[in-house]
Amino acid sequence: MLQIENLNAAYGKVEVLHNISLSVPKGKVVTLIGSNGAGKTTTMRAVSGMIQPTSGKISLNGKAITGLPSNKIARSGLAHSPEGRRVFATLSVTDNLLLGAFPRLTFGREKGDVPGDLARIFELFPRLKERAEQQAGTLSGGEQQMLAMGRALMLNPDVLLLDEPSMGLAPLLVKEVFRIISELKGRGITMLLVEQFAAAALEVADYGYVLENGRISVHGPAGQLKNDPAVKAAYLGAAH
Amino acid sequence: MEILAQLIVSGIALGMIYALIAFGYQLTFATSGTLNFGQGEALMLGALVGLTLVGHMSYWLMLPLVLVFGALQGIFVERVGVLPAIKTKSEFGWIMTTISLAIIFKNVAENVWGHDDITFPSPLPTAPIQFLGIRVLPMEILVVVGALAIMLAVEMFNRKSIYGKAVVATSNDRDAAGLMGINTGMVITFSYALSSMTAAFAGVLIAPLTLTGSTMGVVLGLKAFSVAIIGGLNSGMGVIVGGLILGIVETTTGYYVSTGYKDVPGLVLLLLVLAIKPSGLFGKSVIKKV
Repeated sequence: MLQIENLNAAYGKVEVLHNISLSVPKGKVVTLIGSNGAGKTTTMRAVSGMIQPTSGKISLNGKAITGLPSNKIARSGLAHSPEGRRVFATLSVTDNLLLGAFPRLTFGREKGDVPGDLARIFELFPRLKERAEQQAGTLSGGEQQMLAMGRALMLNPDVLLLDEPSMGLAPLLVKEVFRIISELKGRGITMLLVEQFAAAALEVADYGYVLENGRISVHGPAGQLKNDPAVKAAYLGAAH
Repeated sequence: MEILAQLIVSGIALGMIYALIAFGYQLTFATSGTLNFGQGEALMLGALVGLTLVGHMSYWLMLPLVLVFGALQGIFVERVGVLPAIKTKSEFGWIMTTISLAIIFKNVAENVWGHDDITFPSPLPTAPIQFLGIRVLPMEILVVVGALAIMLAVEMFNRKSIYGKAVVATSNDRDAAGLMGINTGMVITFSYALSSMTAAFAGVLIAPLTLTGSTMGVVLGLKAFSVAIIGGLNSGMGVIVGGLILGIVETTTGYYVSTGYKDVPGLVLLLLVLAIKPSGLFGKSVIKKV
């Protein structure tokens, strides 16, 4: 579904990613774990076109999307729920969700049943339904996270990128976020998940990659990574 | 008392023109953080193109053509002057390019339409209507109605249509809007088209009340800019109130003090606003969460 080959990316002259290769097969959840500054978010941004990779190949459904602007990548079926949520603060919750379906409502992507999908998002996130007409900027951090995820889902994406969905949330909400991720997995949604809570991420994921200083150091089935002594010591230790 | 009421009524029409030009400043500032310092020249070109067109057709038929012309002129300014600056992330390049383009437009207009101010034929009767002792020109009513109508139309577009929401989303967070599949570059071009379109519309609204000429935009553009600052660059309501304040203050000062001083109170007000509430009377100051 999503293939990344030898991806390199830089901020100005500073090289951040070195030859990242990973693949996200259809219907699977793949997680990218690593410490702060390892390049997790940069990888996501390079995939969705928020930054231009310096070299490498990214393909979605077998079609090359490398170097395309983010709006075209979204139209090809990749949704990105970015780090820091980035909801449209002055627009209502409903409008935020409808904008997630922008390519479906305009051109470039099959329209399908937008109102029906909106209703299903409200079912998945009942809190958003209560606040449907409220400005997104007035929501709590947890609600904004739900909104960012719901907005990304409104694309009916082929692949969903979730960047740090648990960042800055209270423990109870973190649990809720992971419950929703496994629910989405149950619905067969293909996901690439970046998380600081490595243990929880490996619990829900099928496959995992460990990113260290911009390089993939270890990868393997999630169950195997969980028991890898090096991974355990570095990422699953004191935090849990 | 009657005189004061008369001055206020005259000030309202002028104020709505300021508001309409200031509204144009807001449109591009919201989506791109840039302004077209040639707004006054967009108004002037609209008025002069309108003047040429009314020689061949009615005022009402000319209006849509001028709107199209204004939109194209805005697209030209954005593509030639602003886009290169945004692309190279030049923080101030667009200031120079939009000012330069404004000077070029003014020179072109001088060469095409001459140096002299020309009267613009009024589409409505020029005899004032008497109302409770106050005299109102039919054209003044058209100015107020027209200005409010176009601002309302833009506001409705932003609120109701998915494309309008995409414009608001781009103003909120350009990167995130891109992730929604919105072509934010197109949105910025569109906002420039809309901005120059409103200016050109303001030009053909005001032209029958004043004179038309290549220099007519300079002062109007500058004053509207201070209205945008007074009202707040991010507040739609603010420009209407700011425009009305400036328009009324000018006509009253012109009468009670001296027409020579009529521009002073507005500029004093601008200085006061900048000193006391820099985000404008109705502006929201931006608080960045880290």
